[in-house]
Amino acid sequence: MEVQVTVLSRRGSAIMRRTRTVSSHRVCFGRGTGNEIPLSDIRVDLTAAALFPVGGGIRIESLGPSPVRVNGTNATAAAVKPGDEILIGPYQIRLSEPPPGIDATLTIELVQPLSDSLRLTSSSRIGLERAISKRRIAWIGALLVMVIFFAAPILIYASKTVPAWRKAGSDFNPTTLIALLWKPGELSNSHRFFAANCKTCHATPFLRVTDDACLACHEKIGAHTASGANLGVMQQVLDARRCTDCHLEHRGTRGLIVSDMRLCLDCHRTLAEAASAADVSNVTGFPKGHPQFRATVVADAAKPSFQRVDVADKAAAIDRPGIKFSHAAHLVSGGFPALGIKQMGCADCHVAEPSGQGFQPITYKQQCARCHALDFDRQDLPWPNARVPHGDDAGVAAAVWNFYAGKVLQGGISEPPAPEVSQRVPGPPTRAIAETPGADPQAWVASKTEAVLQTVVFDEKRGCGYCHFGTGPQGAFEIAKAITSGAGQPRVPTARIVAPVILQSRFLPFAWFDHSKHVAVGCEECHAAAKAEAVGALLIPPIETCVGCHGGERAALRAQSTCTSCHGFHRDFLGPMRKAATAAP
Amino acid sequence: MKSAGATAADLPESHRRHESFMAYSHFFYLKIALLVVAASVVIYTIDRPYGSGYGGTWAGYTLGTAGALLILWLTWFGYHKRSYANISTRLAAQLSAHVYLGLALLVVATLHTGLHLGWNVHTLAYVLMCAVIASGVSGVFCYARYPRLMTENRAGMTMQQMLGRIDSLDDELRQAALPLDEATAMVVERSTETNAIGGSAWRQLAGHLPGCTTAAAIAYLDAKGMVVAPEIEEAWRRVRVLLEEKGLLLIRVRRDISYKAMMDAWLYLHVPIAMMLLVALFAHIFSVFFLW
Repeated sequence: MEVQVTVLSRRGSAIMRRTRTVSSHRVCFGRGTGNEIPLSDIRVDLTAAALFPVGGGIRIESLGPSPVRVNGTNATAAAVKPGDEILIGPYQIRLSEPPPGIDATLTIELVQPLSDSLRLTSSSRIGLERAISKRRIAWIGALLVMVIFFAAPILIYASKTVPAWRKAGSDFNPTTLIALLWKPGELSNSHRFFAANCKTCHATPFLRVTDDACLACHEKIGAHTASGANLGVMQQVLDARRCTDCHLEHRGTRGLIVSDMRLCLDCHRTLAEAASAADVSNVTGFPKGHPQFRATVVADAAKPSFQRVDVADKAAAIDRPGIKFSHAAHLVSGGFPALGIKQMGCADCHVAEPSGQGFQPITYKQQCARCHALDFDRQDLPWPNARVPHGDDAGVAAAVWNFYAGKVLQGGISEPPAPEVSQRVPGPPTRAIAETPGADPQAWVASKTEAVLQTVVFDEKRGCGYCHFGTGPQGAFEIAKAITSGAGQPRVPTARIVAPVILQSRFLPFAWFDHSKHVAVGCEECHAAAKAEAVGALLIPPIETCVGCHGGERAALRAQSTCTSCHGFHRDFLGPMRKAATAAP
Repeated sequence: MKSAGATAADLPESHRRHESFMAYSHFFYLKIALLVVAASVVIYTIDRPYGSGYGGTWAGYTLGTAGALLILWLTWFGYHKRSYANISTRLAAQLSAHVYLGLALLVVATLHTGLHLGWNVHTLAYVLMCAVIASGVSGVFCYARYPRLMTENRAGMTMQQMLGRIDSLDDELRQAALPLDEATAMVVERSTETNAIGGSAWRQLAGHLPGCTTAAAIAYLDAKGMVVAPEIEEAWRRVRVLLEEKGLLLIRVRRDISYKAMMDAWLYLHVPIAMMLLVALFAHIFSVFFLW
């Protein structure tokens, strides 16, 4: 297609024309330089329109986003002929009659010069930065955070505006709310009442919490080991530990006391080697790795002395409380019909203490007196109800001696001799006791007293010897020695006749067993009492009994148990662990 | 448009075609970020404190230090990118690192907390950090979505071009409306007072103007178009055509402004909250050692 193009420009009344011919089968108009007819104005599309021959005529087609205007009408494509006016952007293109050899003649004129089109740009508020400023928002936000979360808590810490923890009024007010902003985690339940007062524990800025802060309230907290125990190097380890090494505050309402087994095992895993003189076993875990229970039994009630014995060692696990007691003998099936007792049970003697954790101590008066009454069939004794007082062996001996001393003043006693025709055991004839005191009343009283005490009062079948041992060798009752040991009037022996008794309530003093938590378990399931025939048999069950129900920290099918389930670190009966003045920093 | 003297073969591969900053250098910074995440997970897992994990265990201190250093470096990027001339490496590389390490920071910081959260300055720092990262993610989406929409909307024109065209259309309208009756001429005249482009932040984001005078003029002319006196029919048509074209252009312009505003809006969260985070982070670290 041959197109003749005339570009027309006016200046005032002068008109300038530049004409050239473009040969192309398709003549494109547009801002871009690749177009056959470039229209250099910003308001023209890059490739605005194309002119091409179709059939015998010429068509114009809009190629850009803006429509072209043909004879006043917006069109995307239209047929054009000489005389038509096309508007592309600010350019007007008029077609005129082409000379021969030319397909189209165009006259192009810029009818809307770009004079002050910047007016619109400058009056428009485009861009968010013209509307709001990032910097201002950033400053305001940063200052807010600085004041509320940094400056205010420091001021409150330094001042005394938070009331001392014993005088705290309402829970939440602006002061406490700001004071709580620096709290990194919830406080343990017992400490929540002073949560807003950081200074209670954090006494000095930038220093860790000292032991003194804890000891201010917990000054009597018990030690872990007996003072004087030989722990070797572990003693320094123990002394160097700070309260906060093990007690982790700000870990939630129940986070203060750590139940993780590893805290204990870190020392106890190798304690037998590290503190070899302390007689401890290594513990490497629970239930696997926990040594057999060792009960504290009475070795000798007279001294007194105790020892720890392995409960599974039948030969060693014997308690020597100083009385002859057999559980099996008391739990016989059928009971004691003569006394009107059908069948004895554990609860007949073992009375739970109010908390249910353990049992009240066994005493003669509460438990034994009901059946083992100390009745005496003589009415002329100084005790009411013809009952010998229990536990006063010296007093009983003195009473018998006084009885015979009184008889001396009455001129003696008469005892009927043995009948003539009784069947007697072969042996020397029984020595008849003299009826009257005779020449030596003191010797008579002494011998009468000794005989009675020997054969009646402290007898093995009829008297104290039924349950008790004497102070002599092999448990013999040294009555003669006792009688001569008295001084003054009346003659009360000062040497004990009956050996001391120690009935322990706790056989595992370093552990804590709560019977009330195990109330659903029958006594016999753990304590084999009915079969305990030997005197002093230890009924504390071995660890195998416990691990049937108790598993490790993360047991799935057993009760989850950890060290602190049964053991405590601080034992108040060992005295205080730390003195505030010498606490480690 | 090629720069004089240099040919396409002189430029490195990544300069010749568009490479998203997300895919920069074969996802190099994504791999770095994944390494950081993996290292954090390992550190968190091998530490088994007596209680539960939180910021004060040795793993907590390690992750916290790493997190704080990351925050400082990420914030520094915002400052450094302004000095275009002094940057030796490509800005796209630094942006890629910024985005991926910012995402890795989320994991590092969350493991540092051990998920011990509460109403305190420590959780404030964590929450602000999450808000910064979330706004950053929205920014990445904006950069992925809006440039293409803008290009399609502009269809080869520039804002300058569009505004210039609207200006000249206004001039034409004033001329063309001369023969019209008073009421119509007034409506047309009002539409030529076009200064309602852009405006407040909300107006820019909204992308359209309910009270646009050009749209009102079009509606007016359409409503009255039935009963037009023959002598002004020619002018009427011409004015209608002009208004149509101007209306279409205005739609494009306002949409373009709205897209641009969306691409900027997320930064109004990202930057101020990052500044607040810096202060909160300082308060958090200071308070940890103040109440040790």
